[in-house]
Amino acid sequence: MQVILDNLPLLLRGVGMTLALTLCGYGLALLLGTALAVCRVSPIPPLRGFATVYVEIFRNIPLLSLLILIAFGLPDAGLLLPYFWCGVAGLTLSSAAFVCENVRSGINTVPVGHAEAARSIGLGFFGVLRFVVLPQAFRTMVQPLVNVFIGTLLGSSLCAAISISETTQLTQRLTGETAEAIPLFLFAGAVYLVLSLGIAYGGRRIERAVAPGARRLRTTDRLRGAAQA
Amino acid sequence: MSTRSAAATQVLFDAPGPKGRRRILLISILSSLAILALLALGLWQFHVNGQLEARKWLPYLRWDYIAFLGQGLRGTLLATAVAAVFAFPLGLLLALGRISRVRAVSWITTAWIEFFRGIPMLLVVYAFLLALPVYGIFFPRFWMLVIPMILVSSATTAEVFRAGIGAVDRGQHEAAAVIGLSGTQTMFSVILPQAVRLVLPSLILALVSLLKDSTLGFVVSYNELQFQGKNMVGQTRFLVQTYLVVSGIYIVINFLLTRLANLLDRRMRRRAAEGSARTR
Amino acid sequence: MSRTTFRPGRRAVVAAAAALPIGAALAACSSDSSDAPSLGGGDASDGGGTDTAAYDAVIAGGPVAADTDIAASAWATAIKEAGSLKRGGTTANQVFSLINPASGQVTGFDAGITQLLARYILGDGGEEKVEYLDTTVETRETMVENGTVDCVIATYSITPARLEKINFGGPYYLSGTAIQVRTEDASSITGPADLTGKKLVTQANSTGIQAITDNVKDPASVDTLADNESCVAALKQGRADAYVLDQGVLLGNSKADPEVTVVGEPFTQDPYGIGLSKQHEDALDFVNAFLGAIEEDGTWKKLYDATVGQVIEGDAPEPPTPGDLPA
Repeated sequence: MQVILDNLPLLLRGVGMTLALTLCGYGLALLLGTALAVCRVSPIPPLRGFATVYVEIFRNIPLLSLLILIAFGLPDAGLLLPYFWCGVAGLTLSSAAFVCENVRSGINTVPVGHAEAARSIGLGFFGVLRFVVLPQAFRTMVQPLVNVFIGTLLGSSLCAAISISETTQLTQRLTGETAEAIPLFLFAGAVYLVLSLGIAYGGRRIERAVAPGARRLRTTDRLRGAAQA
Repeated sequence: MSTRSAAATQVLFDAPGPKGRRRILLISILSSLAILALLALGLWQFHVNGQLEARKWLPYLRWDYIAFLGQGLRGTLLATAVAAVFAFPLGLLLALGRISRVRAVSWITTAWIEFFRGIPMLLVVYAFLLALPVYGIFFPRFWMLVIPMILVSSATTAEVFRAGIGAVDRGQHEAAAVIGLSGTQTMFSVILPQAVRLVLPSLILALVSLLKDSTLGFVVSYNELQFQGKNMVGQTRFLVQTYLVVSGIYIVINFLLTRLANLLDRRMRRRAAEGSARTR
Repeated sequence: MSRTTFRPGRRAVVAAAAALPIGAALAACSSDSSDAPSLGGGDASDGGGTDTAAYDAVIAGGPVAADTDIAASAWATAIKEAGSLKRGGTTANQVFSLINPASGQVTGFDAGITQLLARYILGDGGEEKVEYLDTTVETRETMVENGTVDCVIATYSITPARLEKINFGGPYYLSGTAIQVRTEDASSITGPADLTGKKLVTQANSTGIQAITDNVKDPASVDTLADNESCVAALKQGRADAYVLDQGVLLGNSKADPEVTVVGEPFTQDPYGIGLSKQHEDALDFVNAFLGAIEEDGTWKKLYDATVGQVIEGDAPEPPTPGDLPA
C-alpha cells in the first residue's frame, strides 16, 4: 500500500493520461466512424468500397500491432507524430471501425418502411439519415457504442508499448523500480474498473433517457393498431 | 431474402436520375483519385525510405520462417477456439441471469459482468499469473491465457445477448402470453431464437476480438502469432515488415472468419424465411 | 401444427450461433503449440551477433556436476528428476538470448549460461533440455518466488531491492551501459555529459533507466519502449537523440545497421545475476559453484568470445566473482 501512497501524484498523472487518450481517441472515433458508416450506405461506390475495406482492416488488426506500425512504420511513409498522438491515432482508427459497424447495424434495425416513407415525403439521402433513420437507430446503438467507449479505455493500456506514461506504463515502471507487483496492479485494476463503471453508468443514463420516448411511440402505435382493428 | 440488406441501404436514396448519375460519377472519380493518390504517396515514401527493398521482405517467403509463424498461428487459433466454445454459452447464461426476476441471481451476475467488462484483460491475465499462485493455485500456461479470455469475453457477449433480448419487439412477449406460454417458455421458444439472430453480427465481432485478445499470450509466454513475430524481429531486425506481415495474417484470418459467419448467417436467414413461408 | 414446422428453423439459429466457434476449432490443430519449432538448417550467420559453430562447441564442452554435488542440493535433485530446467527470461534479446526462427535454437550469452547450467545438472545432452518461459520485468520475481521457473537468467541486474525478495546467483557478467547515436551525431555526443538536454530512449524493462537517472543530468526526456528494434527505429527517426543500454546489445545494432554508432566507453558496471527462490537456499551455493566451475575451466571466456566478444572488440574480461553482491 505504501508504494501507492508514495507515488500517488505520479500515478494520478498516469490516470489523467489514460483519460486524455481515451477521450481523444473515442471522440475522434465517433466522428470518423459515423462518417465511415455514412460512406458505407452512400450511393458513391468508391466511398462504399473504401469504408468496407477500412472496416475489414482496422477491426481485424490487433491494437498492439497497429500502435507499433503507427509509431515506427508511419514515419517511413512520411508521417511522424508525437507518441501521444500515435496512441490517439491507433485508438481512433481501431475504434472507428467498430463505431462504423455499430452505426450500420443500427441503421439496419430501422424498418425499411420508415426510410421509404421519409423518401416519399421528399427527403434526400442526408435528410433520411439525419431526421428519420439515425435518431431511431441511436436507441439500439447506445449499448454497443458504450462498449466501444469501454474498449477504447481498456485499449489505451496498450499505449504503454509506445512510451506513453499512462496508468499501465507507470504501473509497469514502478513495479520494476520497487518489485511491489501486486498492490500496484490492484491499484491499476481499480482505476480501470471505476472508469469503465462510470462510462457504463453514463451509458445507462442515456439509454434510459432515450427509452421513454420510444415507449410512448410504441403505445401510440398500438392504439392506432387497435383503432384499425 | 439475401438481397434484403442491400435493399435496406439502397432505400436510403432515390434511384438517381441522369443529373444525379453524373454527379455520382464525378464524386466517384474524384474520391477514387484521392484514395489512390494517398496510397501511392505512402508507398512512394516507403520506397524512398528503403522499406520496400526485397531483402527486407524475402525472409517471409522462406518456408522455415513461415513455419515458425505458423506455429504461432496454430497457438492463436487454438486459444481463440477453446475460449469461444466456453465463453459464448457462458455469456448467454450470464445474460439470462442478469434479466432474471430472482433478485440475488440478477445482482450477482450483474456484478460479475460489470467487473469483467471493466478491467483490461491484461490485468486478469496478471491475476492468474501472479496472484493466484500465491495461494497455491497453478494453471498451465495455455489456461492462464484462455481462462481470462473466457471471463472477459463472456461478460461482453452477455451484454450483447442482453441487448438482443431487449431488442425483440414487446409484441412478441404479449403474443406469447396470449397463446398461454409461461415466462420461461416465452423466453426459450419465442424471444431467444429471435434475439440470437439479431445479435449474430455482434457475436462475430466478439469472436474477432477474442482472436485479437489472444495476443496477450506473450505475458504468460504462450506461443501465439504476435509473440512469434516479436521473436522474429529479434532475428531479422525488420520491425516494420514483421509487424506488417503478422498484422496481415490477423486481418486475413479475421476477415475469413467474418465471411464464414456471414455465410452461415445468410443461410440461416434463408432457411428461417423458407420455414415461415411454408407455415403461411 | 404450423408451430412445429417453424420451430426447427429457430432452434437452428441458436445451435448455429453456439457452433460458430467450433468452425474455428476445426481450423486449429489439436496438438499443443508451445513446443519450440524444430526445423533443421540453421544459418551460421544470424542477426544475433553469435558465432553459432563456436557457440555449439563451447556448450558441448561444458562441465558436468558430480552426482554427489547434485545429491547435496535438493534444488538440483528436483531438476534432475524433472528432466528439464525451466528458465525464465526472453528469447528476443540480441547478443544475450535470441531464438533463431529457422533452427529453433536459442543462442547468446545468457542462453549459453542457461544451457551450460542445464548440462551441468542433467549431464551430457542436458543443454537441449531447457524449457524457455518468458518472463517480463513485472513477472520475474513472482515467477521465481512461486516456483513457475527454476531460475531467471535474463540480463537481470542485482539490486538491493530485488535481493529482499529473491536470491541471486553470481554475478556472472558485468554489463557496461553505453550510448548509441545516429552516425552523423557521433562527433557531437561522446559521453553521458553530452546527454544533458537530449531526448533519450531505452528499453522499458532495462537497467538503462537507472543508468540514466544516476549519470545523466537533466535529459530533455526519457522514453521507454518495448524492445530493442523499436528503440533503434526511434533513434533513426529522430524521436530520440541517443539510445542508452547494455554495450553488447548496442554494438550488435551498429554491426547490423551502419546508420547507428556506439560512442565512448561504458559508463556503468551493472552486475547480472541468476534469480533464484529464497525457498531453496541450497540453490544459491549450487549455482555459485557452477559459475565457479565454468570460470575456472575457461568455458566462461570461450562463451564470451562466441557471443559478446563477437560485437565488443578486445579480449574477454576477467569474469566477476560469484557471491560478490552489491550492498
